[in-house]
Amino acid sequence: MAAAPVVAAAPLAKLALADPVAAHGVAHTDTGRPTMGHAAMLGREVPAPGGPNDLDALLYPPEPLSHRPGRVREYTLTAVDREIEVVRGVTFAAWTYNGTVPGPVIRATEDDLLRVRFANAGSHPHTIHFHGIHPSNMDGVFEVIAPGDSYVYEFPARPCGMHLYHCHSTPLKKHIAKGLYGALIIDPPTPRPPAQELVMVLSGFDTDGDGGNNFYGVNGPGFYYARYPIRVRRSQTVRIYLANLTEFDLINSFHLHGELFRYYPTGSSDQYEYTDTVMLCQGQRGIVEIDFHNTGHFMFHAHQSEFTELGWMGFFEVVD
Amino acid sequence: MGAGPATPVPARRWRLWALVPILLLVGVVALFASTGASLLDLVGRAPPPADRFDVRRVEFKPGTIKIRVTNPQRTKLTIATVTVDDAIVPFRVEGPTTLSRLRSSTISVPFQWVDGDPYTVGITSSRGVETRADIPAAVETRGASPRGFLGYALIGLLVGVVPVALGLGWLPSLRRTDARWLAAFMALTAGLLSFLALDAFAEALRLQTTLPSGFQGPGLILLGVAASYLGLTFVAQRFSASSRHERGAPLEGAALAALIATGIGLHNLGEGLAIGSSIALGELALGTFLIVGFMIHNVTEGLGIATPIATGGRVSLARLSVLALVAGAPAIAGAWIGGFLTSDLLGVLFFAVAVGAALQVVVEVGRYLVRRAPGGLHSGHVVGGYLAGIVAMYSTGLLVG
Repeated sequence: MAAAPVVAAAPLAKLALADPVAAHGVAHTDTGRPTMGHAAMLGREVPAPGGPNDLDALLYPPEPLSHRPGRVREYTLTAVDREIEVVRGVTFAAWTYNGTVPGPVIRATEDDLLRVRFANAGSHPHTIHFHGIHPSNMDGVFEVIAPGDSYVYEFPARPCGMHLYHCHSTPLKKHIAKGLYGALIIDPPTPRPPAQELVMVLSGFDTDGDGGNNFYGVNGPGFYYARYPIRVRRSQTVRIYLANLTEFDLINSFHLHGELFRYYPTGSSDQYEYTDTVMLCQGQRGIVEIDFHNTGHFMFHAHQSEFTELGWMGFFEVVD
Repeated sequence: MGAGPATPVPARRWRLWALVPILLLVGVVALFASTGASLLDLVGRAPPPADRFDVRRVEFKPGTIKIRVTNPQRTKLTIATVTVDDAIVPFRVEGPTTLSRLRSSTISVPFQWVDGDPYTVGITSSRGVETRADIPAAVETRGASPRGFLGYALIGLLVGVVPVALGLGWLPSLRRTDARWLAAFMALTAGLLSFLALDAFAEALRLQTTLPSGFQGPGLILLGVAASYLGLTFVAQRFSASSRHERGAPLEGAALAALIATGIGLHNLGEGLAIGSSIALGELALGTFLIVGFMIHNVTEGLGIATPIATGGRVSLARLSVLALVAGAPAIAGAWIGGFLTSDLLGVLFFAVAVGAALQVVVEVGRYLVRRAPGGLHSGHVVGGYLAGIVAMYSTGLLVG
């Protein structure tokens, strides 16, 4: 732990309360130290692909906006086939929204008019199916968009909570396993209390196509946050918009070390459970709120040990 | 090879002309490679590579698992991640990480394995395809050490040299039998060598299935069988020619004994190899029972060597010892090779060589019997002896199977 504060001290100021984007600039220490001794991962050998800030767009959601019924929120999603690196050195022929698995975070405030322009630049017919309340022709089930075609989904964003979207073309299993899914956050009319907000979408990757996942990850690649821990402040609530989109495995889970958190299922009410482990089937999601009592490195991972050791693990680096 | 000294020029000429089709082939290949590859698109597309590794050997050392892998396919294969029981583990690769066709590397994984537990190791290629290998029970693989060297030598000695030497002890008894019984024992030798030939052939066929298909196991077996059969035939002819000034006569006495000893020795090389590698990989529960079984199994081999000598004059003890060593000592060499080296390829070749050698000796003994056995090949003693040889090998084989 001795070396970390030296590097950590300078960017501390940037971790301003209402400016999560500033965290992009944080030079994460590439010591690999937190993983030492865990899951037989030796320091720098954590086989996570990518650079320190590669996943920031998926981890940090767009800013929430105040309640203004009828305001239009526009997003553009394009389905593209793309090879992604899921653990270091292993590529996966993914189907993506906008080139990443999971796709971009879509955020709106309740009663916004959500307009999602969808273009299919992939090689197979795709759709976008949103969870939430909307008309049947906006459900992404009946209007299948052929390669080269496009479609505009437009509906009022409701109800507030943590939701998700995914492709609903058949074979459904294939289209989800290939990576066509993402987080949909709908903010309540009364804003949630300020917090360091994060998004975590849980994925599995069946790289050899045998109907079982070879690797697991959060926001994509395995072990990513073990190699690049997520830096948060002890004084600030950490709010995670959490969703499970893992195919093939019946359940996935989220477990935090050294702390308990408030878990709001689907984020749709004030009811919460105070726990350190939640279990999610595919499509299940919720909001996690953590008030860290201690500083240091705290692990988070699936409490299916197998998933942990196949990539679904990471660390919070809690600083003052 | 053609030319006598009188016609040197035509000799050159046929060699020169022989180059014509080869040069033409080179030309056509070059032409096809530069332009014709798109031709293949007319009939279909090449399937993606299977991306499967061949896991050749998994060794358990204290705190380490070593996995030997080969690339059996045409396209290159990269070792991207390694799992032990579905957990990604750090690893080092001794040798190239990206393997060309038929190239091998050893993956070294620091791992605290549990003695006797089953393990599954997985190697994932850069294209995400996982090759898994199951190990029924982890047992420490001992490396090359003076102790191990001595151990394998003793095992080879016990299963190879000792039983053959003991079997030679039948010699005084054989000298006192009549010609019909001697023929019966020679036929018994042929019977047990037939059994060994088929046994080695089956072993070679079994082993070759573990080879990458690029190594063409069946062809390799044919090569080994043909080379050893014809090689021994050549040696046998030399023997008979030098001893009798008569090309093609059947071998007798010490010469035939030497040939039989060679054939048995080549078989014991394969047998030693199989025992050595089974011990090294923890696949063989090596107990007293098994060693005793091999001794009983192999003692009949000594009888086979002793029989042809029984008709001739006295043979010195030194000569007998040499025969025992020729037939038995290869088991020691085989045990060393099997215990310390990783080569199914070598194993296939050894067993194939043993097949050819045993067959050649069977043929040689048959020729001897045709000429020397009272009543020839179809006498009751010969037929009975031959079948008794097979039964002897089969029944003692039950001890080691």
